[in-house]
Amino acid sequence: MSLLRAWFVGIPAYLWSGWGAMASLCMFLALWDWGAQVYGDLVLPSPVATLHTLLGLLAGVEAWTELAITARRALLGFALSLGVGSALGLLAGLSMTASMMSRPIVTVLVGMPPIAWLVLAMLWFGAADATPIFTVFIACFPIVFVGALQGTRTLDDQLKDVTRVYRLPARMTLTDVYLPHVVSYLFPAWIAALGMSWKIVVMAELLSTADGVGAALAVSRSHLDTAASMAWIAAVVILLLAVEYLVLEPIKREVEGWRALA
Amino acid sequence: MRQTLSTPRVARLAAHPLFLCGFRPFYLATAAYGVLLLALWSAMLAGALPAPAVPGGAVAWHVHELLYGFAMASVAGFLLTAVPEFTGCASVGRLGLLYLSLLWLAGRVAYWLAGSLGIWPAALLNLAFVAWLAALLAPPVWRDPGRPHLSFLYALAALAAAQAGVFFGTDPMAWLYAATGVMMILMIVAMSRISMRLINGMLEEDGVVDVNYLARPPRRNLAVFSIGLFTMTEFLLPGNSVAGWLALAASAALLNLLNDWHIGRALFNRWIFMLYAVYWLMALGYGLIGLSLLADWALLSAGRHLLLAGAMSLAIFAVMVVAGRIHAGYWLDRRPWVPVAVGLIVTAALARVSASLLPGSLLMALSAGLWIMAFALFLWHLWQPLTHPRPDDADGCAEPVRTQETPANEFAC
Repeated sequence: MSLLRAWFVGIPAYLWSGWGAMASLCMFLALWDWGAQVYGDLVLPSPVATLHTLLGLLAGVEAWTELAITARRALLGFALSLGVGSALGLLAGLSMTASMMSRPIVTVLVGMPPIAWLVLAMLWFGAADATPIFTVFIACFPIVFVGALQGTRTLDDQLKDVTRVYRLPARMTLTDVYLPHVVSYLFPAWIAALGMSWKIVVMAELLSTADGVGAALAVSRSHLDTAASMAWIAAVVILLLAVEYLVLEPIKREVEGWRALA
Repeated sequence: MRQTLSTPRVARLAAHPLFLCGFRPFYLATAAYGVLLLALWSAMLAGALPAPAVPGGAVAWHVHELLYGFAMASVAGFLLTAVPEFTGCASVGRLGLLYLSLLWLAGRVAYWLAGSLGIWPAALLNLAFVAWLAALLAPPVWRDPGRPHLSFLYALAALAAAQAGVFFGTDPMAWLYAATGVMMILMIVAMSRISMRLINGMLEEDGVVDVNYLARPPRRNLAVFSIGLFTMTEFLLPGNSVAGWLALAASAALLNLLNDWHIGRALFNRWIFMLYAVYWLMALGYGLIGLSLLADWALLSAGRHLLLAGAMSLAIFAVMVVAGRIHAGYWLDRRPWVPVAVGLIVTAALARVSASLLPGSLLMALSAGLWIMAFALFLWHLWQPLTHPRPDDADGCAEPVRTQETPANEFAC
């Protein structure tokens, strides 16, 4: 309970620390604006023009449905890779043989360009929902898998002995010794995979589907509407930043709190 | 012959307690000149007085005198007291201080008369003042191991360069905006030196042991960098939206700086809150400038007034009211007039913003009146410490001597 209270009390300070990020983002926007002035609106619409277009898009219903479709695909693929990758990675990490065996396969999976997966997915699933979801899943899977694998492989053997000597109950061993360590490896992998999933899903949609943000991007490109293209890109990036900094980062800080003490 | 005749008179003048320490004549000049300037400016706005015929126009006169007359005097007072204290070197002598004060005064007179005398006398006297000040400060700053206070010299050089631009450039206002940025950076650098000691001293005094205030360099450097970037960009691309985004970046970086200050209840201590409010005013000022540049709001001038009439004036007041007593041998002033004056300055700045929103001479006059009252209060209460011998009869700028009568937990700056 007191932990929960401490967490809630920490929220304003965490949000306030976001001003530093805002400062660098504003400098980036200044650079973007300068580029827009040098190259003209047709090549690079200014941040203000992009924001106007984005607000115009968001005023309608269609934009929200497109975003919802893309979010559903990205999150489905992400959730799949999270579940399968974490489970398989943890299992593989338990056995030296399994981890040795899985390494080359993971290397192949990591090395395979997502666009190649997309081509395969289009052949297998056609222009259906399954194509972007599968592409996201297969692109994120190795990242999560490696994170989970390393988490279990690097468990401290001496700590295992300590739990045995003190006859720690199995539940306590799991939640207080194994989980914090494993999660500190898993979480960064999950966050990396989430960022990946958003990029992959837009790419997959651009080439394979008729709806979603990627498809909207394809349409705005074919109309040479750079302002709308930038607006869609901005929408995806803002969503990603929001999910990462408002949901994942606070959880990450919480579960990695022990590191500062260790 | 004349020299021999006037020397005893000069020596007698220099022996006055006003020239006991660097801050004394300059803090007095800051407050007195500030009150005079704003009173005259209000009268000019009301049409009761003609505007001074200086090159660049009345607005340039208004900004130049508040930056290079009012604020520069406080900067001189601060540096002449702080640099010897920081570096452990000897302070400027009484005679030197007398001449430096007279040079400041001559600079004011020459600029006021620039309409008839031409700009050269004003430029020479004003730049000579900054140069002499820098020459006095450079040796101790340079000899200090690691040279941690070198940034003060850079700031002085930048202020002098901007002032030369005001006198000889084609667009005096652009140079004055640049000087505003330099002044903001100088304030952040100076306040980081003051706040660490002041706040931790306060925390100690209040018996708060689990909180420690640290002015973290990365956050401060980000704020300084973004203000510098904005100032340079605004100078090169005036009115451009690129500068608008950079002003917003400066605003965010200043709010980010406040992370160091959120130390719980201790923040509401009057001395701590006073400095904290300076950063808020600065952040709001840059925010307003940024939004005005991006969205074509007519609040550019309001934003600049938040920076100068608000943040800069409050910082000057805060430093003067703390150092003006401590280095004159008095303990910190605990009377209610201090928070009242702080409230007056903040309200004056906000009234000036409202005057941009709802044009009308009443709000403008109200703003000037409140601001004048704040610095008049300072003059009233600091006249005695600044112009009279120290109560402990000590010499120089030392802090009050701890005796048995003073409580042991009393804080000294």
